[in-house]
Amino acid sequence: MKLVTAIIKPFKLDDVKNALNAFGITGMTVSEAMGFGRTRGHTEVYRGAEYTVDLIPKIRLEVVVDSVDAEKVIDVIVKAASTGSIGDGKVWSVPVDHVVRVRTGESGVDAI
Amino acid sequence: MGTRERRERSKANDDSLVGLFHAALAFSQIPKEKISMVAVGGYGRGEMSPGSDLDILFLHANLAEADLTLFVKSMLDPLWRDGKQIDYSVRTRRETHQVSINDVKVALGLLDIRYLAGNRSLFEVVAQDALVSWKKNIRKFLPTVLSSINERTKSFGELAFLLEPDLKESRGGLRDISLLRALVLSEYITIPLDRVAEAEALIWQVRDVLHDLTRRSRNQLLLTEQDAVAEKLGLIDADDLLLALSKAARSVDYTMQLAWHAIGMKERRSLFRPTSGEPIARGLELFNNEVVLAKNYDIKSDPGILFRIAAVAAQRGKRISLETIAKIANIGEVSEDSLEVTGPWHEQMRLDLVSFIGAGEMMIDIFESLDQENLISRWFPEWEHVRFLPQRNVLHHHTVDRHMLETAAKAAALTRQVHRPDLLLIGALFHDLGKGYLGKDHSEYGAELMFPLALRMGFSSNDSEVLAAMVRFHLLLPTVATRRDLDDAATIDHVRNSVQNAELLELLHALSIADGEATGRNAWSPWKAQLVQDLVTRTHAAMKGITPPGPPELTEKQLATAKRGLLNVEIIEREDALEIEIVAPDSLGLLAAISAVLTVMRLEVRTARTRTIGDTAVTQWVVNLDMNVPIPSIEGLTDSINRALSGIEDLQVRIAERIRIYKRAAARSGLAIPPPVVSAITQISTESTIIEVRMHDQPGLLYTITSALTHYGVDIQGAIVSTLGAEAFDTLYVSDRRGAPLTQERADQLASDLQSLLTSQE
Repeated sequence: MKLVTAIIKPFKLDDVKNALNAFGITGMTVSEAMGFGRTRGHTEVYRGAEYTVDLIPKIRLEVVVDSVDAEKVIDVIVKAASTGSIGDGKVWSVPVDHVVRVRTGESGVDAI
Repeated sequence: MGTRERRERSKANDDSLVGLFHAALAFSQIPKEKISMVAVGGYGRGEMSPGSDLDILFLHANLAEADLTLFVKSMLDPLWRDGKQIDYSVRTRRETHQVSINDVKVALGLLDIRYLAGNRSLFEVVAQDALVSWKKNIRKFLPTVLSSINERTKSFGELAFLLEPDLKESRGGLRDISLLRALVLSEYITIPLDRVAEAEALIWQVRDVLHDLTRRSRNQLLLTEQDAVAEKLGLIDADDLLLALSKAARSVDYTMQLAWHAIGMKERRSLFRPTSGEPIARGLELFNNEVVLAKNYDIKSDPGILFRIAAVAAQRGKRISLETIAKIANIGEVSEDSLEVTGPWHEQMRLDLVSFIGAGEMMIDIFESLDQENLISRWFPEWEHVRFLPQRNVLHHHTVDRHMLETAAKAAALTRQVHRPDLLLIGALFHDLGKGYLGKDHSEYGAELMFPLALRMGFSSNDSEVLAAMVRFHLLLPTVATRRDLDDAATIDHVRNSVQNAELLELLHALSIADGEATGRNAWSPWKAQLVQDLVTRTHAAMKGITPPGPPELTEKQLATAKRGLLNVEIIEREDALEIEIVAPDSLGLLAAISAVLTVMRLEVRTARTRTIGDTAVTQWVVNLDMNVPIPSIEGLTDSINRALSGIEDLQVRIAERIRIYKRAAARSGLAIPPPVVSAITQISTESTIIEVRMHDQPGLLYTITSALTHYGVDIQGAIVSTLGAEAFDTLYVSDRRGAPLTQERADQLASDLQSLLTSQE
């Protein structure tokens, strides 16, 4: 099993969710995230005071999938999240040893 | 489920405990006449929900500690093994008395003491001690009791307005009902306890069902459990349940307010009681630390009394006396052609409402006390529909009406960010007015309700449209910011086309912040704030900024008077204000001198417009009418201005005194007032530099600003001064001595210096 993590632009969340649903993935964890990559800070004026924005709002999306699906899932996310402009985000996967569904006690791929 | 079941549950526990007590006694060295077991607190009252704790006290006659430890352990062991929640203590009569006079919680618990087993006379003397001590020490306990109520409200909120309330600890819940009973037992005041009988029965029932369903002793009624609880109680649904709880909690809270009011009156009666209050505004006095109607004041001839009293009380951080609220509520039935129903209100009434809402947190309590006498719905019938209205939304904590009040209170801290603080506050107060109408979009329908309501309040047609647009688009910025591509020009176009102008954009931005902050941490994070800020910055860049109005235009008559170049004063008396026109030869410090004269005459400036033409200045003033302030004569005012222009020093001292008195009162009110904001705009006009000042209004403010500008060596070519509720918004057109606009550097320095000066004076 793999944990696929995606950092995407906030407005792309609905597109990515729909694409993952169409692929057959219905569950995921979504959280608000702040960060930056190559698009370093820029200057803003807020309440009259100028300040440098180091951290840009993003969405962090996490989903655990069967290892055989990981590549395809990453592909689905990348396609759905892409705008072609800078700051589109990143997607990565890491191996997962063990998963248990709390309600039923099922484990492994059955728990996904 | 009801009182009978709770008593039965309590009796079952009694039987079990008494059995264990006798069994333990039989195996111990303790003589049975030396010990007694009693129930205290809720268990003492015989009211046990399925998950209630057992609160017991062992009273003994100086037994050895080792014997007692062994006895208690052997008695309670079986219960602990069964997982029962038991709170117990072991004390002599003397120890019990000592603890009870130092710990109000113990004193309260002992008032419900009930005999279970052992030496009955030991119980009887301790019960007697507890009651005597409570009555004797009640005045000592009251401050602690009050601060515990406030602490509880801070931690657990108010049952009437929370979507997931704590039935025991929230304000208006079971803890408050117990407290009311204890106050009755003290015989210090009388309380109409029958007012809370129905409320008490309902809250207990809800708690019993909750404990039964969850098999836990938790008292917080979560959203996920509300439908099941409602069904068990035979109510329609969760909304029906919350509505019933809201009404119950409000009756408890109101009875509690009556109790504290009675206590306050009694406490003060024992001191040197003044026979009359201190006049603080037309028809209003401060008496016993509460705002009251002046004696013999004819409220029937004063339709604006409600909001004036609310504004005065909120801005001073005081409550309105309950008798005064009841008196206003009893003025009579609202007729179909009354001002409440038809409007439009007088300008001063609207400004008083704005001033009231702008007081922030303090406003909420006063608003609630007016609402309890149905005074809010009388002026805003639309409010009735959202009163106590629950909302099915995981982000929200409060009912719709309370959420709007919380939003308005948050908006009060953002008034410096907008050009129209009055619109921000009113828009915030009514932004969710359209909620709860089946099949209708609450933003759209709310805007439909807002427009006629704003006209009724006396807002202009343009302002009413802005208010309706605020309601219609109050979710636009957060929704677009989090769901649309901000890099896409079409997104910015969409917002720009909806919002149309920068004034509405800044109002919507502030409203989004206030709405989000009032909703809760999950609804307004730094993450969302930054996205919304980004959207606002981009949209603002794509639209024309807010252009300050030019200096006032003059009429032919004014120009003719100006040409004569002589000091000329005219006074016109309007229904609720005085219009004063002063034409005078221009000189450095003229505006400061006139402001000083008006301040010293205690004429409160509502608006002012001034313009210098050639060597003459034309100034128009609208000042509030106040029965405590005599209307000046033309001759008197002319004379005062002449004297002020010839040497202003003596006025400075008097103005400083007025400011000092005001500051002392403002400091006592405890209002959280945002700091002043001063900005300099140099690009708009080729003739002058514009200085904008936004701050909390105070006596002598215009004098302070204009005299500071005079000392700075700049000429004031014109000014537009507005008071919007408690907020002042002043636009001044200044130039250097040669009549040219200031350089950017000098304008910025001036703005910064003026801001520092005004901040130090606030």
